[in-house]
Amino acid sequence: MIEEVVRYVGLAIVVAGCSVNLIGAIGLNRFRNFYLRLHAATVSTIGGTFYPLVGLALVAFSSSELGSARFFMGGVLLVAAFLLLMLAPAGSHALARATHRAGVARPEPAIADHLSEDRGG
Amino acid sequence: MRRVIVAVSIAAFTALLAYATTVAGALGYLGLETRALARMFLALAYNPNLRELTAMSPAAVAAIVWDFRGVDTLYETVVFYMAIISALAIYRGVHKVGGGGSVGLSLIVRVVTKLLIPMNIAIAVSIAVHGHLTPGGGFQAGATLAVVSVLLAVVYSVNSFSRVGVEVSKAVALQSTGLIAIAAVVFTPLIYGVLTGAQAYLMQNYVKVDSGFHFPAEVLGQLISGTLIWLNIAEFLAVSFGFFTVFMLLSLREEVVKQPLLGEGHGS
Repeated sequence: MIEEVVRYVGLAIVVAGCSVNLIGAIGLNRFRNFYLRLHAATVSTIGGTFYPLVGLALVAFSSSELGSARFFMGGVLLVAAFLLLMLAPAGSHALARATHRAGVARPEPAIADHLSEDRGG
Repeated sequence: MRRVIVAVSIAAFTALLAYATTVAGALGYLGLETRALARMFLALAYNPNLRELTAMSPAAVAAIVWDFRGVDTLYETVVFYMAIISALAIYRGVHKVGGGGSVGLSLIVRVVTKLLIPMNIAIAVSIAVHGHLTPGGGFQAGATLAVVSVLLAVVYSVNSFSRVGVEVSKAVALQSTGLIAIAAVVFTPLIYGVLTGAQAYLMQNYVKVDSGFHFPAEVLGQLISGTLIWLNIAEFLAVSFGFFTVFMLLSLREEVVKQPLLGEGHGS
């Protein structure tokens, strides 16, 4: 019983991650400037990859027909999810910061740009 | 109109490719039966009952790469080594790696990279020493470790190479050590044969029908697959520090390398 529940919760997370991926892809196509598109891309990496990996780990843990291999598979998925959670934001942060410093992408329309105000620009 | 044509052609290409590779079996991979060549490799990769033919390695790719067609892989390694030597020849006269005052990317990226690099090294070593058991091997492990050099150059700037004690000369020395270790493994049967007068072949791994020489397949109950683990570790050294050398040279600043690259008669 509890296995069934865990499995369906995991599958529900995977399905939700797929929809988030679709939303991220639409945003990547439709958003107006670099920073907004980067935001859409990070929505896909965290919402569309991190959460489905956790969901798949739940599915793996609940698959008792796999024997002890399920803990191995689930553990690998959780490690991959953790690495992604750590690395993806660092990567997009580096991209956004480098773009802002180089000034190659103008954020338009910009309501506030605190980073350039801090730099005295 | 143009976008419609592009979209239709992409969709048609995908559909045709999918049709050709699945239903029509254009690549010959359709069907569940194993082909004769694959059956031979699967039967011989790990087979303790056929000691004259097996490579004693559960990883069939490692068995093929370092045993069945080992000389091929040896030449590939030498070609890779020669490519690194050519890069060194082009960059000769460049002495200084680093320089300038930059400190790299922001604190967030540097902290994440600091966490990542030990994991990267551990995974690379694991891929190398498990190369005869699981998919992977020396070259893959070397490419994994080479990522560290790119991370150092991009995230911590080229100055970090000298700060962590990596220099081009040391990297070349380690790379050459790897190649010498491969040569030692390859020539050991030959030296054994010359010394004892017995029949032995270059790059021989286990007993053959006319030769009793063999490397140990197991040490302390652990399967090491004869030469495979030694060749994988040596290849790991050669490839990783070969990539280290090239990435260090490629990450040099233009003003450091321009003068030596142009030659002595220019730029003065």
